[in-house]
Amino acid sequence: MYVAAKGGERAIQQAEQLFRELNGTFDATFVRLIERHMPYLIDRVMGEGSLYAPELAALALAQTGGDLYEAVLLLRAYRSTQPRLAYAEPLDEAHTFTVRRISAAFKDIPGGQYLGPTLDYSHRLLHLDVLDGRDSAPASPDGATGDPIDKTGAADLPFDPHPPALTDWHRRYGLLAPLPDLPPHDPASVPDVTRDPIHFPAPRAHRLQSLARADTGGVLALGYASMRGYGMIHPTVNEVRLGYADVRLRHPVSGALFSAGRVRVCQGEVVTPAGSGSDAHPSTNGAAPPAALNPGFTATIGWNEVKVIAGAMLDLEMEAANAHPAHREEFVLYHTEAVEASGFCIHFKLPHYVTFNSSLDAIRRAYAAVQQAEPQ
Amino acid sequence: MTLAELARPAQDYSYAFLDEFAKREVRRRILKAIAIPGHQVPYASRELPIARGWGTGGLQVTLSIAGPHDIVKVIDQGADDSVNAVNLRRFIARMTGVATTSDAQLATIIQSRHRITEERLREGQVLVLQVPDPEPLRAVEPNISLAREMHADADYALMWLGLYEQVVRFGTFMTGASYPVVVHQRYLMSPSPIPRWDTPMLHQAAHLTLLSAGREKRLYAVPPYTDVRPIEFEDVFFQVENQQGRICEQSGAVNKFMNEIPQPDGSMCYQASDTGYVEKLVRRARGEPVAIGATYYDDDGTFYHPGYLKEQEPDHR
Repeated sequence: MYVAAKGGERAIQQAEQLFRELNGTFDATFVRLIERHMPYLIDRVMGEGSLYAPELAALALAQTGGDLYEAVLLLRAYRSTQPRLAYAEPLDEAHTFTVRRISAAFKDIPGGQYLGPTLDYSHRLLHLDVLDGRDSAPASPDGATGDPIDKTGAADLPFDPHPPALTDWHRRYGLLAPLPDLPPHDPASVPDVTRDPIHFPAPRAHRLQSLARADTGGVLALGYASMRGYGMIHPTVNEVRLGYADVRLRHPVSGALFSAGRVRVCQGEVVTPAGSGSDAHPSTNGAAPPAALNPGFTATIGWNEVKVIAGAMLDLEMEAANAHPAHREEFVLYHTEAVEASGFCIHFKLPHYVTFNSSLDAIRRAYAAVQQAEPQ
Repeated sequence: MTLAELARPAQDYSYAFLDEFAKREVRRRILKAIAIPGHQVPYASRELPIARGWGTGGLQVTLSIAGPHDIVKVIDQGADDSVNAVNLRRFIARMTGVATTSDAQLATIIQSRHRITEERLREGQVLVLQVPDPEPLRAVEPNISLAREMHADADYALMWLGLYEQVVRFGTFMTGASYPVVVHQRYLMSPSPIPRWDTPMLHQAAHLTLLSAGREKRLYAVPPYTDVRPIEFEDVFFQVENQQGRICEQSGAVNKFMNEIPQPDGSMCYQASDTGYVEKLVRRARGEPVAIGATYYDDDGTFYHPGYLKEQEPDHR
């Protein structure tokens, strides 16, 4: 019984104790191991937790026994206690060390395509021999050791870690609408979804921030529904990029730009011909001729390709003229919020006997009214 | 000198957990909410170390208004010792250093999930209600942008239509808890899922009620001495849950909101839901000195504002 007279305090302490006993203790070494060896899990927790802190993400995972939603909540709650000290400069291609960049739109693109670190073309076979005591490391092509790039062996062609955006090429040929002429950028003036309540239609910044911290599974489910047949069906992946971005801050005294560190980032970009799928019959407002392609975009901290591709599809849908109700902005952004969705889901475990009792009373009244209306 | 020596310790939280900017924002939104009774004011709503949907809205309000001299009572479904109430209370106490109590008369702030105390609250007390869904129009308009427009126009026709359909189909209103009310003759408001028994307690109340939905990022208020009327017809009235004939097995209380507890033999046993009130009744029965305040409903079940609750004629159809 979870409402025991005076027993509540002891019960919750013991319940937490039992969880800790069952899952074992851990120390700083274990946290470092998670951080080192589970980078994609760390990225997911940091992305949804909206806080770039690999060490804290690893700690959150250790502390929750790997319960992803609990780990994300830990990071978000910790984030609430942190004041905003400074705003970084916007990321751009020139200050992001790109390690993986692919486009499905062309066979080759300016700056080149490179697969980089990926399991995309691996055979999904369990390395059972590891269980027999063998090392998991694959044999390196030329026996080099040390740096992972050296180990892999040199590429045949020189590698440009700062390739231009493919959308630059589209814009040059009028396939995408030109970028607006923005006034000098003040990062502090960007609407911030963690500091302001969201209203709909949401400012673009709120939408992209919400997608960046959205639940991967939720974004995938709604995005997949669009791809599978309830929306654009098959947009083209224009560019997917993984890289390390410099977090550039302006020194408070000297005003000089400096890098405070590098973070793993990824971005996904899809395009679809204007007027196709759920964008059929758009309103043109009688303005300039519409661009030939509509873009969709999502970026997040950490490397999470499924999320940025599905998120980019949803970004497109949210602009579409006739999007399915499940692909409209309010629906997508509210229902892919990892912490809110998971928290509300588990709140149903709380006692609801007062509200249930109130409903019972209404039902009894209805029975009484029926009996009164139909005399025996 | 190492970097570790220069860094502050990792184990460090500010007073009342939230950073000062977050608390200031909540307090500003509260002031706006008080100025526009019943109007939902959006706020940023920070994540707290409590799961979303478990009282984070109420908690942000309590943490933002509490000072070290406050005395806090936390209840869940009326119970002070419910596990979630205990958890929120120890978190508030841990982060603010407030004293805690189960006595509604002693508390300066009462945070509650879905009940109002049976004892009348007085001027200066703040009731913080946790709200899962702040939007009374949700059932007729799930899109919040459209619902906002309806509030702006005071366009509540669909609610009246729904009420009428309930009477036509079932012969009575079918809304259980969260019975919608009109505040200060203007805004339709969800009083949070308090039972209908508690709804009248908001009307012309001496205390301030703050309602806050953390997950949905909206807060709103009923200032002291404000009209709060449940929606009803001229000939079909709002009715509170029937408590007639129920006696609390722990305290002997009557005409208070009762929990129904099904028994193995098929019978039903009743316990007053307000455990703080029950505790005081029990102590008084033992002969201990205890101050019990006047209640909203007397032992005959009469509400303290005469005429507010109307008896339904049996043949209203």
